[in-house]
Amino acid sequence: MAKYILKRVGLALLTLFIIIFVLFVLVRIMPGNPFPSERMSADQIANKRAEMGLDDPILVQFGRYFVNLLHGDFGKGTSLYYGAPINTVLSTCISNSFRIGGLAILEGAAVGLLLGITAALNKGRFLDSFCTVFSILGVCVPGYVFLIFLQYFFSYRIPFFPYFFDPNRFMFSAILPSLSLSLFTMSTVARFTRNEMVEVMDSDYVRLAESKGMTGSLLVRRHILRNALIPIVTVLGPLIVDLLTGALVVEKIYGINGIGKLMVDAIAGEGVDYNYVLALGILYSALYIGIMLVVDILYGVIDPRIRVASSGEGD
Amino acid sequence: MSVTRRSFLSAAGASSAALFLAACGGSGSGDANGAGGTEAAPSAGSSIGVMLYTNVMSLDTDLATDGDSFEVIADCIDGLTQMDKDGAAVPALAEKIEASDDGMTYTFTLRDAKWSNGDPVTANDFVFAWRRICKNAGEYAYMMDEIANIKGAAAIVSGDEKDETTLAVTAKDDKTLVVELEVPVPFFESLMYFPTFYPINEAFYTSLDDGTYGTSPETFLSCGAFKLDSYTPGTASLSVVKNPDYWDADSVVLQGINYQVVGSSDNALTAFKSNSLDVVMISGNQVASAEEDADLKDKLEVTGAGYMWYLTFSQTKKNAEGGMLANEKLRLAISNAIDREALVDNYVMDGSIATYTAVPPQFATNANTGEDFSADQEQFSDFIGYDVARAQEFYEQAKKDLGKDTFTFTMIYGNNEGDEVAKVAQAIKEQVEGNLAGVTLNLQPMTKAERLDKMQNDNYDVALTRWGPDYADPMTYLGMWITNNSNNYGFWSDEEYDKLIADCTTGAYVSDYDARWSAMLDAETLVMEQAVIAPLYTKANANLINPAVQGIEFHPVALNRVYKRTSVA
Amino acid sequence: MAQTTYVPVAGDFELIADHDITTDKNFASQSYWKGVAIHFFRNRRAVVGLVLVLAIILLAILGPVVSPYAYDQIIRDPANEAVVAKGIAPPGAQEGPFAGQLFLFGTDDLGRDLWTRTWQGARISLIIAFVTIFIDMIIGMSYGLISGYFGGMVDNIMQRVVEVANSVPRLVIVSVLAIFMPKGMGLVIVALLLTEWIGMSKIARAEMLKMKEQEYVLASRTLGARSMHIIFKQILPNTIGPIITQMMFSIPTAIFTEAFLSFVGVGIVLPQCSIGSLIESGFNNITTLPYQILPPIIVLALQMLGFNFIGDGFREALAPKLEDM
Repeated sequence: MAKYILKRVGLALLTLFIIIFVLFVLVRIMPGNPFPSERMSADQIANKRAEMGLDDPILVQFGRYFVNLLHGDFGKGTSLYYGAPINTVLSTCISNSFRIGGLAILEGAAVGLLLGITAALNKGRFLDSFCTVFSILGVCVPGYVFLIFLQYFFSYRIPFFPYFFDPNRFMFSAILPSLSLSLFTMSTVARFTRNEMVEVMDSDYVRLAESKGMTGSLLVRRHILRNALIPIVTVLGPLIVDLLTGALVVEKIYGINGIGKLMVDAIAGEGVDYNYVLALGILYSALYIGIMLVVDILYGVIDPRIRVASSGEGD
Repeated sequence: MSVTRRSFLSAAGASSAALFLAACGGSGSGDANGAGGTEAAPSAGSSIGVMLYTNVMSLDTDLATDGDSFEVIADCIDGLTQMDKDGAAVPALAEKIEASDDGMTYTFTLRDAKWSNGDPVTANDFVFAWRRICKNAGEYAYMMDEIANIKGAAAIVSGDEKDETTLAVTAKDDKTLVVELEVPVPFFESLMYFPTFYPINEAFYTSLDDGTYGTSPETFLSCGAFKLDSYTPGTASLSVVKNPDYWDADSVVLQGINYQVVGSSDNALTAFKSNSLDVVMISGNQVASAEEDADLKDKLEVTGAGYMWYLTFSQTKKNAEGGMLANEKLRLAISNAIDREALVDNYVMDGSIATYTAVPPQFATNANTGEDFSADQEQFSDFIGYDVARAQEFYEQAKKDLGKDTFTFTMIYGNNEGDEVAKVAQAIKEQVEGNLAGVTLNLQPMTKAERLDKMQNDNYDVALTRWGPDYADPMTYLGMWITNNSNNYGFWSDEEYDKLIADCTTGAYVSDYDARWSAMLDAETLVMEQAVIAPLYTKANANLINPAVQGIEFHPVALNRVYKRTSVA
Repeated sequence: MAQTTYVPVAGDFELIADHDITTDKNFASQSYWKGVAIHFFRNRRAVVGLVLVLAIILLAILGPVVSPYAYDQIIRDPANEAVVAKGIAPPGAQEGPFAGQLFLFGTDDLGRDLWTRTWQGARISLIIAFVTIFIDMIIGMSYGLISGYFGGMVDNIMQRVVEVANSVPRLVIVSVLAIFMPKGMGLVIVALLLTEWIGMSKIARAEMLKMKEQEYVLASRTLGARSMHIIFKQILPNTIGPIITQMMFSIPTAIFTEAFLSFVGVGIVLPQCSIGSLIESGFNNITTLPYQILPPIIVLALQMLGFNFIGDGFREALAPKLEDM
């Protein structure tokens, strides 16, 4: 197991390096200008480009960037929050997005599992239909529409929650945005849980366990849920990345300075900010790869057969 | 109507009180409320919630480029002069301003003002800040060389001169700042309230780590009416509080401002209704619905935003089907096929005014006559206006000249420049295609950055673009259309025009105010006759203001909102 | 004389690999798809879903055709004033020159008929969703199945490729793509193609990991079936359930992503519209003129409901063992 994990981590780092390089090249061919300007002369812009080293060969630029990156330095923005080091801006945004996204995942996964299990255990009955329709609706209505609805009723009509995000009262003002963000996760998890559980419940080994007289929560926990969890973990992985990396519209509506809005500002704001796009891209990739790694290792924990199979063939 | 009058009266009252206090040397705090008018004295904790359009990008005068950043900087730092409620320059950090007879040397005598760390504001703080702007040569460095024409600035900004101490701005002593100009600049004093010309405390700045200036309340010094209370780069909310050490602190009533970035007009309206914010800006349908609402109607106040939206046409061979838009008649046809009144009434709806002059109204007034440069919107009615018959006449001539009867152009516009822009673009498409049979105007949305990139590299046919005045003089617009200017997106070139503008900026007319004024009108006429651009509308802001908040001063130029004389009932 | 001995000739035996060994002919003659159809139509929810989706497709085809207005037509009254939505009520319904006219869904900010635009938008969104999901399913499913089946080094490399493809933020990809092709529906489809197959491949791979150790696969392999045959003819049909579920989820994702792309300026080009761009523009007036966002949201929700019901129905009908025993 340790060897398997070590190998996976090594591979993940290699992938990350490739991604950083690909991103670095892609960002430099994006349309738009890193120094958007209506008032600078051509000379001024040329001087700025030279100062940033943008005229050097791309490998030289990449080398320089990568060395700085290893020192944990993302550089400075070119068109966004100009003077400030990216690390300063990023740390606030990451902290907000991670906390709100994390809350949303917890809420979504918990409610989703509950709904899915309830539906599966009551298959074909009213509760099943209810949970199904409820969870489908969650996928149909965009999260931000739900947020507007919540904001309208619980911050305006009944002014209980703050109308905008307030970093000083984090938990309290995170309730509405995290709820609305959790909707999609909730629905997805509920649907997958139900379907997988129904399938598992029909399998021979569950039938066998039942015929042995095993019933109730022990059966559900030991046999059904465990086997149903594999695809759910697969679905949850990317959802977690999506939620942690912020949601543009929700952040915009609720006045949250998070990564989603930062990314859009970096690409579609005043200019194309090479360094912000890169920093956020790297962050996103690292997160994604990290979570996929965890998912893969979790597979092994949940279903030892997979571990045996893949490590056996991989050697 | 009643709103405008009320706010006008209160603004006048508050500012006369401020002037009175300033005349008394800023002493006697007890007088402030008494002189301020009939409103009850505000409670100690009265601060207001104000909406911002975008995140504050930077609090460093060298790096800030957007109106929202400028507004917050101006809350916290004073200039040598400051805007009064009518937008005229009044002395602020400068106690006395002397111009030499030839108008080429200005001597500013500073008053006793303090930075929020207790240091005095000295002439050297200005020298330091201005040299830095020239040396870093950012977006607004052009204010130093092209606009203010400070001696030595041009060489430093272009990078030819590496030694920034050659800038002809000197601190004679702690209290005396001397500025030498290349040519007389008639509006020089009013430039001084623009944030680019604000001071920075050199000792404080150099004590900070590189890149940290202005990134938190601890790394930012204020010498203005307010000081920074909470801010971090990228934040959607920030706050400033009253600065007790401000030289004119007695006339500042407001205890603080809580800024909040609001993403959409609809959200702004609800935020205002829920009392979360006291001042918001709305647009489009939200204005229409506020006008229908008996309660909100009285709280609506329309103020000029200054900038003008216009169409620019690429006149080079490589675009527009081989340079079709180089044909003046075709440009005139398009310009006359657009119903500007319908654009502002139906799509923009926030009180923006249809514009028929290359220099928009409301921001540049003649210092001698007090008349708005563009008060007369009818003056070019032979060349511009909604007249389908005339548009078709121009169009027929153009078709004959060009030997073609169908034209397909692409119009680019920014999709991140406000909700109304996409609506206006679609309406223009419909009007032009409907009125000029055979013209197809395809729309191509893109980010503002990409739009600018395409325009600057002459890679477009027609573009919907805007320009806001940086200073209160028609030249802020007219300067754009000289040959090879980077804002001359049509790549239009006219010798007569270039000569007129050169005479106004550096030549014969610089010291003859009236001659300069009429030369600028002549230049504008050239632009309009040839439809170099098609002006569309001058933007306004539709503000919803809590009636308890009195005396916010709105300006279409430089600083959009000034809170120094604002109070809360 | 009856033959008592038989001498085998060459034609009596054939290599098994030359034959289709997918199905047992005895079983096949009972018509697999007929059974699926019977199961599907016996499922009340599935039928409701089918009716919903068909109704929406029908309206998306006919809606713009029967409407007296074009989707991009700014409607003018006799005084040549555009029927622009202002304030609270949808115009045209109450009085004035349009009293007799019916704008079922009202008009939009430019004075265009929202009924026509809603169905035009539904049409565009459906085209985008179907095209991308169909291609994505083929790419993603093959990719995931192959990756999962071979495992080991192949799987490792293929999964790293997935990670690289999935890690580059979508906005970056689309911005770069926009250099090479004009903005509009084509760009949206290509952008969706580049990223949406990944979810499908993940599901397919996970299913493959579950399936490949099962006895029937082993049996096939022992009989000499080639890998591709096992993957696509034997395992694939057994993974169809989760894949269809994933497909049904991919449709809203495709539509939302398209809306997001419109939002950042690389989506559908106005005055063309899609469900996503209609939601986007209705969103600007969500509390002021809520009637503008309602039709596209409701159409979207019904569409999703329909697709999900159909998906469930299919899944259950394709694997009748779940239902019948």
